[in-house]
Amino acid sequence: MTIEMFEKPLGMRDDFPFIAKKKTELRAKGTKIMQQAGYDLLQTPTLEYYETIGKISAIPDNALFKLLDNQGETLVLRPDMTSPIARVVASKLLKEKMPVRLAYYSNVFRAQKREGGRPAEFEQMGVELIGDNSLYADAEVIILASTILKELEVESSRIVVGHTRLLQSILMEFGLDDRQIEIVREALVSKNSVKFEQIVEGLAIEEGKTESFKALNRSKTLEDWKQWINFSNPEQAALYEEMLKLQKIIERNGLSGSVTYDLSFVSHMTYYTGLVFEFYGAGSGFPLGNGGRYDGLMKQFGLHVGATGFGLRVDRLLEAIAPKQEDAADTLILFGEETEQQAHEQAQELREKGVHVTLQYAPAVQAIEEFAGLFREVIRLDGALNG
Amino acid sequence: MDELTIAMPKGRIFEEAYELLVNAGYDLPKELDDSRKLIVEAPNEKIRFILAKPMDVPVYVEHGVADVGIAGKDVMLELDRSVHELLDLGISQCYIATAGLPNTEMNPMTPRIATKYPQIASRFYRGKGEQVEIIELNGSIELAPMIGLADRIVDIVSTGKTLKENGLVEYDKIVDITSRLIANPVSYRLKQDRIQELVEKLRKQAVK
Repeated sequence: MTIEMFEKPLGMRDDFPFIAKKKTELRAKGTKIMQQAGYDLLQTPTLEYYETIGKISAIPDNALFKLLDNQGETLVLRPDMTSPIARVVASKLLKEKMPVRLAYYSNVFRAQKREGGRPAEFEQMGVELIGDNSLYADAEVIILASTILKELEVESSRIVVGHTRLLQSILMEFGLDDRQIEIVREALVSKNSVKFEQIVEGLAIEEGKTESFKALNRSKTLEDWKQWINFSNPEQAALYEEMLKLQKIIERNGLSGSVTYDLSFVSHMTYYTGLVFEFYGAGSGFPLGNGGRYDGLMKQFGLHVGATGFGLRVDRLLEAIAPKQEDAADTLILFGEETEQQAHEQAQELREKGVHVTLQYAPAVQAIEEFAGLFREVIRLDGALNG
Repeated sequence: MDELTIAMPKGRIFEEAYELLVNAGYDLPKELDDSRKLIVEAPNEKIRFILAKPMDVPVYVEHGVADVGIAGKDVMLELDRSVHELLDLGISQCYIATAGLPNTEMNPMTPRIATKYPQIASRFYRGKGEQVEIIELNGSIELAPMIGLADRIVDIVSTGKTLKENGLVEYDKIVDITSRLIANPVSYRLKQDRIQELVEKLRKQAVK
């Protein structure tokens, strides 16, 4: 295959200035909100070992970019941020410091099997709250994420909330064994309601319960969840009680209208153990981000603590943000041989007032009218009249 | 009430799917005879139809330019797009099968399979542990065994008439196919009430 001079590897993109500018603004807004909530930013390496992060990240093998280092070890370009942060916390940060609040804004890499245009490198921002088992931690990250969506003015944002452990317990209550639960889970992960209903109909469950089982797929409120909870089962009763408390906190923060409680919502990421959630907005056909409680991931690093967090995809946020009136563009000062010093002084003065000023020696520009047209204000010190 | 955009497959499935929607009580324009139109509005129901190639329906839905769509299970299996599969409509029943000239064995050296469904065909033969070469064609698949391009074809069979007319016989049935109602995962959440209503109305009409 010959490679054209301008070509880039599949899924790689240049960020042109107008995109880079938007991303810079988004990054500034997002990181500020996360830091104000007490989260410290951190950076982890771009390359990680396949054996550790590559496998733990729960990203399919064929989506990993792999390479070899000079020792012959297999490396991956980091496919997510949650597992590297879990590693950092497990290895470096002292237990006495828990709970730890960490935030990130980083690029991650996932090879795309479809159309070449889909990004294989994209930025994510998010937080991890490690060492807190309580529902207050879950509530904190959900509210933090929705604050970011609100500040970014994402239109009609919506959060869907499910609960992995509660679902598992309810499926067991229906008399399913581990293998059957896995089959049901797969159908739910692939969002295949047809298959889900077929599976349910094929199961030997208690008579009259089939319809109730199928309705799992249509739950929208915690009130809906009630019908499946066995209140004499202490685990289920406790988890449901927690969900009600969580709902209260969420409502108090003015989010009641934008949350759907769907017990059948599960993540393809197998390390989530409790609450799981996903974010949506009107401008993008793809979810904006997701998160949940992932105590199981911490265990893989030998740390038995609770952890919860979210990640938002920057490229999709940019799609979902309502286009805004462009900020005042910049000023151009065109100068000639004689006016160089004057131009510098004038530029200095304007820059001190916060204006972006481009200085340009006029004779070096070929198409001066077109060039000047790129700026909002043009000051001509090159002998021509100010236009 | 939110506007709902529905991607419909042009051709055979369209008529049946449209009828299903009308029977479900949707107030839709009676005549859609101008088949060159790509977008049809049903203002009384705040529904907009996008008429697409059957293979493209899941693509429109995955990207969210259509909230829901009607797609054959064959297309879903072949494309494996990230969409909600909400309901088996039971229409356009058929199945995918392998076929070939009667009383023939596959060439043991280089068994070749011609198909419009390379993913489905590849998965089927790999599942059986057979090493085959898949040849992707875009139509007239029946031609392949007759002119010696392939030993077998993998294709949709509804009545078996086409196979018969071309002197082919069916060997293995791979999977049953019907049309499905699918939804974009974001639309499913943002317009859940409307989409759920559509599911329930169509469920009553779906062919059992």
